[in-house]
Amino acid sequence: MAIRNLWRSYERGSETVHALAEFDLTVQPGEMVGIVGRSGSGKTTLLNQIGCLDRPTTGQVIIAGTDVTALPERELVAFRRDHIGFIFQLFYLLPTLSVAENVGMPMLFARAHDRERVRAICERVGLADQMTALPGSLDGGDMQRVAIARALVNDPALLLADEPTGRLERQARDEVLDIFDDLRADGLAIVMATHDLEQAARCGRVIELRDGRRLEHAYEDSWPKAHCAT
Amino acid sequence: MNWTAIALKNILRRPIRSILTVAGVGVAIAMLFNLLEFQRGYEKGLRSELSDLGAHIMIVPRGCPYEAATIVLHGGKWPRYMDEEWYQIVRGTEGIEASTAIIMDAIIRDGGRENLIYMGIDENYPSLRQSWRYASGDWFSGTQAAILGSSVARSMGVTAGGSITIEEKGRIPATEVTVAGVLERTNSQDDGLVFLPQHTMQQIFGLQGKLVMILVKLADVTQTEQVTAALRSASAEADAGMNIFPLSELLGTLTSLLSSTRVFVLAIVAVAFIIGGVGVLTTILMAVYERTREIGMMKAMGAAKSDIFRLIWLETLFTTIGGGVAGILLALLSGRGVVALLKTILPHTPADFALGMSGSTLAICMGVSVVLGVVAGTWPAWRAASISPITAIRGGSS
Ligand SMILES: Nc1ncnc2c1ncn2[C@@H]1O[C@H](COP(=O)(O)OP(=O)(O)OP(=O)(O)O)[C@@H](O)[C@H]1O
Ligand SMILES: [Mg+2]
Repeated sequence: MAIRNLWRSYERGSETVHALAEFDLTVQPGEMVGIVGRSGSGKTTLLNQIGCLDRPTTGQVIIAGTDVTALPERELVAFRRDHIGFIFQLFYLLPTLSVAENVGMPMLFARAHDRERVRAICERVGLADQMTALPGSLDGGDMQRVAIARALVNDPALLLADEPTGRLERQARDEVLDIFDDLRADGLAIVMATHDLEQAARCGRVIELRDGRRLEHAYEDSWPKAHCAT
Repeated sequence: MNWTAIALKNILRRPIRSILTVAGVGVAIAMLFNLLEFQRGYEKGLRSELSDLGAHIMIVPRGCPYEAATIVLHGGKWPRYMDEEWYQIVRGTEGIEASTAIIMDAIIRDGGRENLIYMGIDENYPSLRQSWRYASGDWFSGTQAAILGSSVARSMGVTAGGSITIEEKGRIPATEVTVAGVLERTNSQDDGLVFLPQHTMQQIFGLQGKLVMILVKLADVTQTEQVTAALRSASAEADAGMNIFPLSELLGTLTSLLSSTRVFVLAIVAVAFIIGGVGVLTTILMAVYERTREIGMMKAMGAAKSDIFRLIWLETLFTTIGGGVAGILLALLSGRGVVALLKTILPHTPADFALGMSGSTLAICMGVSVVLGVVAGTWPAWRAASISPITAIRGGSS
């Protein structure tokens, strides 16, 4: 995944706000990149760009060799469906559907529902015993597991997580990150936006955003893990 | 898992709201169902009543034909009379296979709560009544005789060989007649009549030389128009005040009488559909609004616009189809009450008349529910399909 000179600007009244400016980033398979920064620094904007939810003002986003900024809307939707998984701070599970049905839903969009695949993914994230449960009966950590399983069911190359643990207890938070480690080990590329430096510490690479720009002097590649162990 | 299951589960998410919406559609469908079935049953009942008459052309004295029809079909007190001689004009017309002249009167008892209808007939009457069978006895044995319809005989508790008394009433003296025959049940108005020989009846009731109706049976039904025209010109030539109309025409006039009522009912049904449809529209719009984030998430996961559109459309369709089914059940349950109500409103309703359930009415009602769903669902489905995932989810994370 590569981003080249990406800008995303919004007109706010007479002035132009650059939510993202001059942004470059490359993520390799099996890599987990943490995006940190204050509120309003552009983290969500960046994930939306990578996730093909929004189009840049200028610049390119290339995922798995495809320049997604050049894709027409229809193909973009299909591309997102097949190559990208999303996880949000709020889990957005459908309350009337079982765990297995929630997990399987993206396959419905791809018209390729596969029970075995759903079962395998649920087992992978530790939900094997709760497949028929309704989301309302689960705790936050398990709900996020469902969301992760759902993001993975169409076998994406890239997983985007926007504050995935913001609503979770400490233990559940660690478990989610354990799952991420496991997925990364299998070659999935993960980009995670977070406020939490401790979590960022578990990423292989951390990028700090300030006013939509990448801080070059950030802890990239040399994040001092001991620094945040306190 | 499939879209249908998701749509159904979404509807059940707010059961009370969904039930109210379905009920709104159901009431409209029930009204439509009853309207359609009423019309069908009405025409059918009328047709069978007219065919029970066994005649093709009915001749009555000048006057309101609707009134005449009601009295002919149900019996009653006759306001006008025809001259007996006019019957000869009818008999002399070509193309007639059989004809019979009738005199009729009613004796009202119990202050109007009950009336017994007497019909004076000639020997030709049974030839128009294929369904006549005697339970006991036979045709008039003498002049002071009567034939009783099955229900009259039962309520009077007499059989052939017994006797009944025509009550004294005004100009009518109390008269005893022997019962020559009792008819088997015919399921027509005949069951409730007392038949007397025509001349006997004219004498007892003081209606000498008078008739109330002539029924004509044709040799060839396709000649109805020609025979009617011939009768009309013969009547005009003789300066006779006869009102000659084919029963096929009578059916038309009576059904058109119904159509003015129908327009009114149709207007009410239309209002019910507007209310039901708006109910569906707002319910689905509300559901889309409540589920904005969820729909945004689905789009982020790769749901195409068409996927979301279809989901919301399905939810609307299931709601209105549910309303259609509920409405049909409601109509079937309320049918009797509706008939009773309409009988009090309409000038003439067939005696043997109930709301049924025809395939065409079912098909129309279900078709209308589907169309309602398609129409009411399009706008909310389009709104849902246009939800932007970023704005929907942004709204969620703050
Ligand atoms: N649709 C929009 N219209 C105008 N401005 C926007 C829009 N979306 C984002 N912005 C602006 O872009 C900037 C970056 O927002 P973004 O949501 O990416 O920040 P963030 O780092 O995710 O913040 P947080 O930590 O609070 O989630 C903000 O100044 C925001 O106001
Ligand atoms: Mg954000």
